[in-house]
Amino acid sequence: MNRIENHPILGETPSRNKVTFTYNGQVMEGYEGEPISVALKANGVMAHRYTAKKHEPRGIFCAIGRCTDCVMIVNDKPNVRTCITPLEAGMKVQTQYGVSAEKQD
Amino acid sequence: MKIERYDMIVVGAGPAGLSAAIEAAKRGIKPIVFDENQRPGGQLFKQIHKFFGSKEHKAKIRGFKIGEELLAEAEQYGVKVVLNATVIGLYPEKEVTVRIGDEVKHYKGDAVLVATGAAENMVNFKGWTLPGVIGAGAAQTMMNLHHIKPGNRVLMLGSGNVGLVVSFQLLQSGCEVVALADAAPRVGGYGVHAAKVSRCGVPFYLSHTIVEAEGTDHVTGVVIGQVGPDWKVIPGTEKHFDVDTICLAVGLSPMSQLLKQAGCKMADTKGGYVPVCDEDGATSVPGVYAAGDVSGIEEASSAMIEGRMSGATIAEYLGYITKEEKESRVNELEAQLDTLRQGMFAPKNRGKLVEKTEEGIDVSMNLLEKGYVAQDEIERYPGVTKSKGIHPVIECTQNIPCNPCQDACKMGCIMIGKNITSLPAVDSNHKCIGCGMCVASCSGQAIFLVEEDVEPGYGEVTMPYEFLPLPEVGDKGMAYGRDGREVCAAEVTKVRTSKAFDHTNLLTIKVPNEMLMTARFYKAK
Repeated sequence: MNRIENHPILGETPSRNKVTFTYNGQVMEGYEGEPISVALKANGVMAHRYTAKKHEPRGIFCAIGRCTDCVMIVNDKPNVRTCITPLEAGMKVQTQYGVSAEKQD
Repeated sequence: MKIERYDMIVVGAGPAGLSAAIEAAKRGIKPIVFDENQRPGGQLFKQIHKFFGSKEHKAKIRGFKIGEELLAEAEQYGVKVVLNATVIGLYPEKEVTVRIGDEVKHYKGDAVLVATGAAENMVNFKGWTLPGVIGAGAAQTMMNLHHIKPGNRVLMLGSGNVGLVVSFQLLQSGCEVVALADAAPRVGGYGVHAAKVSRCGVPFYLSHTIVEAEGTDHVTGVVIGQVGPDWKVIPGTEKHFDVDTICLAVGLSPMSQLLKQAGCKMADTKGGYVPVCDEDGATSVPGVYAAGDVSGIEEASSAMIEGRMSGATIAEYLGYITKEEKESRVNELEAQLDTLRQGMFAPKNRGKLVEKTEEGIDVSMNLLEKGYVAQDEIERYPGVTKSKGIHPVIECTQNIPCNPCQDACKMGCIMIGKNITSLPAVDSNHKCIGCGMCVASCSGQAIFLVEEDVEPGYGEVTMPYEFLPLPEVGDKGMAYGRDGREVCAAEVTKVRTSKAFDHTNLLTIKVPNEMLMTARFYKAK
């Protein structure tokens, strides 16, 4: 598990609401309000999208909404920056291929 | 089209922007601050280490606490902060366009302060786009804001203060830092930051850069290699590490696009593309100001002072205070800023090798090349003294503007004097009572208490300790040297925590007398 429960300086992580969301159809758990990317990371997801031309994987890089490497399709909307978009219960999160939810050749 | 008017518009609710807005609000201005993030405070809330400087710079207070204080002050003076609001344009006549939700709104200010900060630099190598290659700022955001480990095994590239501080924070979060590499031949950040990472066992590879990030869908390893004088990797020097994360701390660049768009005179400097401005932040366009990292990379402490200077200057520009009132405030702030810009790491010394301290003592080359002061170098510094009874050993070996240790000692054992960058010296005429306040107050975690002959043949070393789990009295483990190597067996004899120590625990271990000047860290078996 890569969640930090207790930190020497920040203390115990405050308790938050657990919610479920789907990642490519698979049900996953995360905390309400945390960035989608953090919930994915806690579930071991590293690759968020594949580039349009070379189909290379991309994941979290800057974590502050600047680089757009972490964009995914969220609730059917592409190019959502998952590092700064808060997780909500029932969200539909999909890997983005180019700008599509379908794998391309 | 509707345009809302404000006396003062601030772009960026980080340390510079908020400080400017507070300073202006104190003079009766009602500024509006826009920030693209969900929370104000900029990067301050990710800074969990104690800041350097003196009392007036909020030294020995942790960054996120300074952030909380700043927000409280902003609220007290009625500063209006609009979040999730991205400023997308700054036009002539100081018109500002802001994207809020799916709408673009127009504003106009009589004065506009741009305090947009900086963005992290990248570096290219084979595999650099793989998931698992992240910015050091991203690591801080994940672990200190969102309570998640950026990775389990991490390689850090970059030995500036960001690389050093984040490496330590990774260790505090329970990550393993397998190595710290930098293409430069010498550590770029504060020696004390390097030393606290080194003694935890992180090896430093100076003159090394990343050859390749390995993996197909995400990082599974990294290869680093030694660089020659031409900055190219010398064949045969490659070293492999199994890692899941590669963290890049290779500098910051000012985010000055809005200022360029506004028509401000810009300069391409070594520190990035910055507006040409006066000390008080005035750019070449009347009424447009810049403060903080956007006008040249420094740190949060200086950004806050620069912000306040701009705030006072804008108050005068808008007619809220007289020229005399402005000047007296700016002079006071300038003196504070000047203090922060002294010492070995002063902007004027950037890129230079400083070989002697202000006191004329040789700088530790081992510290610069390996990340720790060698055993045969440590005793040349005035804070490192030997005596029978309990006394502080201050391993502060570079002139940096910082003096909380002097104030922390109520007994007068520690002397820095008027010059804030002087190395602290131990005055053996004053009796140390072993209270440990100096150990906890040192932002560089460079102070230890040493006592010989606590029992026959054995003495005690007290060290700052900011990790979990906290060892308990009676625990047996190993003591480690400054280089992070095991030196001897050690037993925990005292563990002190106190509100006054602010999460820096004081760990006392018992080691043989001859190890008192060597043992500087403890790990349980």
